[in-house]
Amino acid sequence: MVGMSEAPRPDAKTAERFRAVVLPHLDAAYGFARWLTRDPMTAQDVAQEAMLRALRYFHAFRGEEARPWLLRIVRNTWTDLRAKARLENGSLEEVENKPVDGPDPEQSAVAGDRRRQVAAALAVLPADMREILVLREIEDLSYKQIASVLGLPIGTVMSRLARAREKLAAELSGRLGRRGNGLPDL
Amino acid sequence: MDCPTCEAMVDAYVDGELSAFESADFERALELCPGCRARLERVREVSSLLRALPVEPTPDLLRARVEGEIRAIARRPVDRLRWMAMAASLVVAVSIGWLGGSFVGLGGRENDELVAGYLRVAMSDHGVEVASSDRHTVKPWFAGRIDYAPPVYDLTAQGFPLLGGRVDLVDGRRVAVLVYRRNQHRVALTLWPASSNGDSQPSVGERDGFAVARWRHAGFEMRAIADIAPAEMRSFAAGIDKAVDADH
Repeated sequence: MVGMSEAPRPDAKTAERFRAVVLPHLDAAYGFARWLTRDPMTAQDVAQEAMLRALRYFHAFRGEEARPWLLRIVRNTWTDLRAKARLENGSLEEVENKPVDGPDPEQSAVAGDRRRQVAAALAVLPADMREILVLREIEDLSYKQIASVLGLPIGTVMSRLARAREKLAAELSGRLGRRGNGLPDL
Repeated sequence: MDCPTCEAMVDAYVDGELSAFESADFERALELCPGCRARLERVREVSSLLRALPVEPTPDLLRARVEGEIRAIARRPVDRLRWMAMAASLVVAVSIGWLGGSFVGLGGRENDELVAGYLRVAMSDHGVEVASSDRHTVKPWFAGRIDYAPPVYDLTAQGFPLLGGRVDLVDGRRVAVLVYRRNQHRVALTLWPASSNGDSQPSVGERDGFAVARWRHAGFEMRAIADIAPAEMRSFAAGIDKAVDADH
């Protein structure tokens, strides 16, 4: 990606096109940021910064699929923010090291203990496994789209996804026990 | 097909990434391979559990800010300075958690402090230090915390119930912030004794996607900010003025 200072400034026409093409994916951007950061406040910062970057780079958008394109920017934004915070004062360490949880299913109308356990199990997975599961199962991206978001070959996407699912299944069998949840014995 | 091959295809099969030919191949191999059948069940189970997770909606404040940025650009096609200032303030805000949104601008410092203060009010569960809809609870709370007694009124009848108050800093001075609610949005009213005389009519503008009203009334400088429509902000300011006047 080019630096901010080199990109042409977006104009009114660009902003309108952006609104139609990219803005509908704000939910996806926030949801992905929510799982990447595991913190609602940081997720808002990351999603907003990513939207601004996307608007800034929108001139380079060539009609590829907008959602994977935006999710890639979200991921890059988060990577940059972490790197910057580490360089400056480690202010994000608190976020990264705190006990983690995902979006709280308690807030939904049909909250359930099982969902909370699933969210918690996903939240404690290593970052590379967590992000690939979110992209596949929550964002419903194809392998090809995931490969483009993460900058990985398709083969790596396949093997990492398989490992991530095994790891999550193991984590869940520990949390949910073996009865009543439909998970086969592991 | 041998078992390692079969096992490697389980995820791709579930994810619909195999061709029809490969799928048929895989299904035949699966018949002979209990281990891979168990793995297939696990993958399906994990997948359906994750897909059943509730989605957390995008916070209104985030949406309002993003839409504000887009609107600002759509309106001002050639204002490079504004864009750079906005980007700079955003970088600062993102990197230090919204606490220091001030940048060298054209008298924008007070606005930035108001926006930063509003974000503390709106984005946190602890945005209100005294939580009460009773003005007789909120008003005395300020005594000893700031050096003046702010007028406090509940505007429930006008559609802006009082939520409480807090103390914030504007231009180095400790000031009273009253927090109101408008549907799902919060309105922050910051007020301090005016140094010049005479009332001025509320002027409502926009800042980073928020409606900001500024006016002077009954000896107080008033600043209100919220992610609501400018028309709603005008009715809020009018409601405050009316409540103040009725009490005098």
